[in-house]
Amino acid sequence: MEFNINKHISGQFNDELEQIRNDVLKMGGLVEQQLTNALNAVNKSDRDLAKQVLESDYLVNKMDVQIDEDCTRIIAKRQPAASDLRLVLAIIKTITDLERIGDEAKRIAKVALESFNKTQQEFLVSMDGMGRKAIAMLHDVLDAFARMDVDAAFDVHKADKELDREYEGIARQLMTHMMEDPRSIPKIMDVLWSVRSLERIGDRCQNISEYVIYFVKGKDVRHTSEDDIKQNILS
Amino acid sequence: MISMAPDMSNKKSSIIDLNNLQEQQIALRIQNLNLFYAEKQALENITMNIPKGQVTAFIGPSGCGKSTLLRCINRMNDLVDTCKIDGQILLHSQNIYDKSVDVASLRRKVGMVFQRPNPFPKSIYENVVYGLRLQGVSDRRVLDEVVENALRNAALWNEVKDRLHDSALGLSGGQQQRLVIARAIAIEPEVLLLDEPTSALDPISTLTIEELITELKNKYTVVIVTHNMQQAARVSDQTAFMYMGQLIEHADTNTLFTTPSKKKTEDYITGRYG
Repeated sequence: MEFNINKHISGQFNDELEQIRNDVLKMGGLVEQQLTNALNAVNKSDRDLAKQVLESDYLVNKMDVQIDEDCTRIIAKRQPAASDLRLVLAIIKTITDLERIGDEAKRIAKVALESFNKTQQEFLVSMDGMGRKAIAMLHDVLDAFARMDVDAAFDVHKADKELDREYEGIARQLMTHMMEDPRSIPKIMDVLWSVRSLERIGDRCQNISEYVIYFVKGKDVRHTSEDDIKQNILS
Repeated sequence: MISMAPDMSNKKSSIIDLNNLQEQQIALRIQNLNLFYAEKQALENITMNIPKGQVTAFIGPSGCGKSTLLRCINRMNDLVDTCKIDGQILLHSQNIYDKSVDVASLRRKVGMVFQRPNPFPKSIYENVVYGLRLQGVSDRRVLDEVVENALRNAALWNEVKDRLHDSALGLSGGQQQRLVIARAIAIEPEVLLLDEPTSALDPISTLTIEELITELKNKYTVVIVTHNMQQAARVSDQTAFMYMGQLIEHADTNTLFTTPSKKKTEDYITGRYG
């Protein structure tokens, strides 16, 4: 089925849908920027950049509230049905996950404000690969959302496994280090929380990819296996 | 250990599988129905089963044939000279277009309510018992009982019980429409056809009628034609979307309004038709 939100008889409805869709992409871009800045701040111990992330979080929250309101208004005034209804629902859910990704970015940025010794800093740098993967996932899922591309969404869905695997590897290393040097536990815990945040971001991107599939295919693929999702995409 | 899973099963147990209906679940079987008004074909090869004890809504743009199809079910189109019909509609495995079928008795089984309330210029009481009087019932006790039951079922009793012998024309539009429904159900039909029953009513009266329809389906099979898509979504269990004389999609209402399978249906219910 082909999707074109611009073909309603009501031009105003077209505008409203187009507007919230654009706002979601704008919010996604902002969150992506926040996450990139947070990771750079940690990587380079850049306290100013970290502060900037903390200060900008309110922008993400503001957009979350505003898009929610717009969606409520559309439901009340337009009674959307079928793909329009699924679009509005997918958006309501997507922005919740985006907002939470913003929170995770903030959490990571806070770590950059702490001071670490050389070994600890090395650990922080070691999560860079994971960070880049998380950013790529977020970028790709927003792209899939913009184009309503189920195949791209499914790729993001699968990519989360890799992030999970890396998380486990890093977590194991950190635990070994904590056992060897118990005095470092508080600092290493900070690192562990950040790594955990990245892993959670992967999960949230996966959620968004499921909303894209829901919108396009009309099938709720949450809590189903990868094979089931594949079946649903092909059908 | 807590083993009790919360009961999330769909409360609307009335949802049934249209493709897998048992014989006793079917009220009406429409088979290969074609209808022509002179040269113009208004219905093209309609085949569908209308399930018993459910509300089925026909939706579609003006001129798509939904009212025509509804009228076929109690042979209202017989009144149109140029109208030609082939195919069949089965009620209890009898084709209602069979020569042996008495139209008056068919219409007793298949009642109809129109867009504009059309009470007779008589008292409320006489309106309700009109059908029974035609059938020759004159026992006062029987008639009284029927009036009360029909008006209660039509959710009108409490409003009119103290003025049953006043003229029906003094009622409001919404009350008149409920009176007409009471008149239709007084003769205990099996199927109730509603042709845009609320399009002449205000929103509150509309809601009352909608609530009434939900009550009625416990006793009757209801088929409703409506221009108001949200109304179809609210009151019906099954929805049939028609377009240019064809039945495009017939599915349970929940599915049709969230994930229709045909592009034309999608375009119509999302307001892209035109």
